Amino acid sequence: MENIFIRPELCIGCRHCEIACAVEHSQSKELFGMLNEIPQSRPRIHVEIGVDFLTFPNRCRHCDPAPCIQVCPTDALYRDKDTGNVLIAYNKCIDCGACAIACPFGIITFHKVPEISFDREVNAKCDGCIDRVREGREPACVEACKTGALVFGEINQLIRNSRKDFTIRMIKSQGADVETSKIPKSVQQYREILKKIAEIGPLPNS
Amino acid sequence: MKKIDVKFIAQQRSIDESSREIIEKAINEGIETAWDRLEKQQPQCGFGQLGVCCNNCSMGPCRIDVFEEDGPTKGVCGANVDTIVARNLLDDLLVGAAAHSDHGREVLEVLLDTAEGKAQGYEITDVEKLKIVAKEYHIEVEDRDKNDIAKDLALKMLDEFGTVKGHIDLVNSRVPEKTFARWEKAGIVPRGVDREIVEGAHRVHMGVGADPTNMLLHSLRISLSDGWGGSMMATDASDILFGTPAPNTSFVNLGVLSHDKVNVVLHGHNPILSEMIVKAAGDPELKALAEEQGANGINLVGMCCTGNELLVRHGIPLAGNLLDQELSIATGAVEAMVIDYQCIFPSITETAKCFHTKIVATSEKSKVPGAIYKEFHPETALDTAKEIIRIAIENYPNRNPNRVQIPNKPMELMAGFSEEKLRESLGGTYKPLIDAIVAGKIKGVVGLVGCNNPKIKQDYGFVALTKELIKRDILVLVTGCGGVAGGKAGLLMPESAKLAGDGLRSVCEALGIPPALHMGSCVDNSRILVLGANIAKELGCGIEDLPLGGGAPEWYSQKAISIAAYFVSSGVYTILGLPPKVFGSEKVVDILTNKLNDVLNAAFAVEPDPVKAADMFEAEINRKRKALGI
Repeated sequence: MENIFIRPELCIGCRHCEIACAVEHSQSKELFGMLNEIPQSRPRIHVEIGVDFLTFPNRCRHCDPAPCIQVCPTDALYRDKDTGNVLIAYNKCIDCGACAIACPFGIITFHKVPEISFDREVNAKCDGCIDRVREGREPACVEACKTGALVFGEINQLIRNSRKDFTIRMIKSQGADVETSKIPKSVQQYREILKKIAEIGPLPNS
Repeated sequence: MKKIDVKFIAQQRSIDESSREIIEKAINEGIETAWDRLEKQQPQCGFGQLGVCCNNCSMGPCRIDVFEEDGPTKGVCGANVDTIVARNLLDDLLVGAAAHSDHGREVLEVLLDTAEGKAQGYEITDVEKLKIVAKEYHIEVEDRDKNDIAKDLALKMLDEFGTVKGHIDLVNSRVPEKTFARWEKAGIVPRGVDREIVEGAHRVHMGVGADPTNMLLHSLRISLSDGWGGSMMATDASDILFGTPAPNTSFVNLGVLSHDKVNVVLHGHNPILSEMIVKAAGDPELKALAEEQGANGINLVGMCCTGNELLVRHGIPLAGNLLDQELSIATGAVEAMVIDYQCIFPSITETAKCFHTKIVATSEKSKVPGAIYKEFHPETALDTAKEIIRIAIENYPNRNPNRVQIPNKPMELMAGFSEEKLRESLGGTYKPLIDAIVAGKIKGVVGLVGCNNPKIKQDYGFVALTKELIKRDILVLVTGCGGVAGGKAGLLMPESAKLAGDGLRSVCEALGIPPALHMGSCVDNSRILVLGANIAKELGCGIEDLPLGGGAPEWYSQKAISIAAYFVSSGVYTILGLPPKVFGSEKVVDILTNKLNDVLNAAFAVEPDPVKAADMFEAEINRKRKALGI
């Protein structure tokens, strides 16, 4: 199954994925055009800080079985058979929020979307960029991510890559003084400084 | 909604009791402050923070994948991460140097207008300093009218901005030979204030500089044209016009606002107009008008560096530093906030809309939507100042007493330790200070300067570091927001010598001075340079040989980058409490924190933790003491 794999240690909070997502789900599919559209397109991926200024790009995992599909009283939520993506039929959504209650990741938000003419908000969740994926392209957020924090592909293959990284680390790490982390030294230093700032500042720290 | 713990939030945001009280009020009344905006901005872009985002040209914006995954390693133009990071730092620094220097130019223009009799309300106040500085420029001073000397001096100093003489004159008379020789060897002798800044802007353009070392060296040269040029001339010209500061005591924190007087907050950096406002506030007609409106007088208070300038020369009380600007308005007790420029939150007029407060913008360079605009001109300065006070007085009846909350414990502080007065108080020579340093009573001297930054609990960086340093017998000099922070915490009173180590304490008690000396505004960091230079000259060494340090524990501004760079270029090891946007490039970090030592015998460091920063200062001071054989 193809899905997006997230490597949070590589996320630096640029929110490029958020912009790309909003553009992809706008009517014009173009940044400058998007800004004048009504309703305003909004991102379906959310980059927020946890502690110590560290970030995580949080988006729909397209679970199977999907708790949101299981609880939706109007069958607005359904699964696309080809891609496995969890999709929504906006005109069936009654804005009850049951899906958001059930969602383990807290990624469902309600907004107005251009696909329906009713003046109300609906579950505007990630569709996994199904149109793009059908054309053989990556989801917009993955394409926008320049640090490799978001990667798209066959999920077991992506997990295998991570596992291989870890295996190499285990084998190369022949003592505490051998540092084989992939994070460059200066970025590590930077994150250590941010951690200290979080300790003496008003934002969340560990 | 979950009830938010307002008290807890206030404690997280500031260490100052008076600020905390008004932070709570602001939260309860829904008044937005910088802390709220910081929260809304999270997360902030890592590319930007690491300095690897280049938004200079329209082939971009570009950014580098710092994790060296499959992402881009070069901008569209081909610039690699080291080039982009160095270029961005150069860009930041030149903006800071430009801000200080343009401020300096404006004071010099007023000096010239004053000398020519065109400026309303101004006069040459410190004739002695005028003559001393004029002599440095080889201007004849004997038997000449002070205005004639001032005219020659103002013109000579204005020449420093675009000089064709080779390099800035002040460097000749003030910089110790050994330090100067290092600059010559590194090719960083500042050739002219405007020239270095303009050339810096040129070098930021695509396809000019790609070598990070070369760009960083020019950055240092720009900073020297600020520290020993723009900023230093701002200090000198302000002293000549308005008087060289001498130690005085006053009060600080939001508690200096008055319940029954017309409160006018003077905010920004340049004292040229606010000096006239101080003059205008003494006008009997305006005093009478204030009484007519039901007020018990006019209460002028300072904010940020305009406040520092007025504090050190006139003992005008200080309402606070950067993060207090919105809070002062949130007290509900401010009739008018007069702004000149730099560090004024663009949203200040939005804050003012929550109350009766009027924001009065005065500089053609610094207009803010929603502000009343009273343009400053030297020819009409006193009239404009009176007009502004009148606006404040007439606004007094609009104050809603039910919404007023003023913290009730202003802190006493001592300020005004100019280099001249410090030297004078030591008997005209630094020998007593040098003896104390040699004897180890004072181990070294550290200047703590720079801003507030909402990422760090307001004043915590300054106060914790000051306490750590004085405990270790290291004398602290403060300016800018750092001066205000020290003042609010009560560290700027002679009594706080009891917090110092035995050695420093005995010196402070003998002289009746605090262990942290307030030397003025942020352009007055030039006073710290002159102090270092004069001590070095007495010892026959370079500034870089002295056990000195510089710190900006809560900095935010590009000006602080320029200050830190001219400290380091002048030979003073400098620790920043927040990281500049350089950590995307290991090479740039290595040059700044390590390689510069070979060239300047000083380098940069980054350390938010005050105790660790104090350890680092102590190690550096010990290194230099050892090299001096003491």
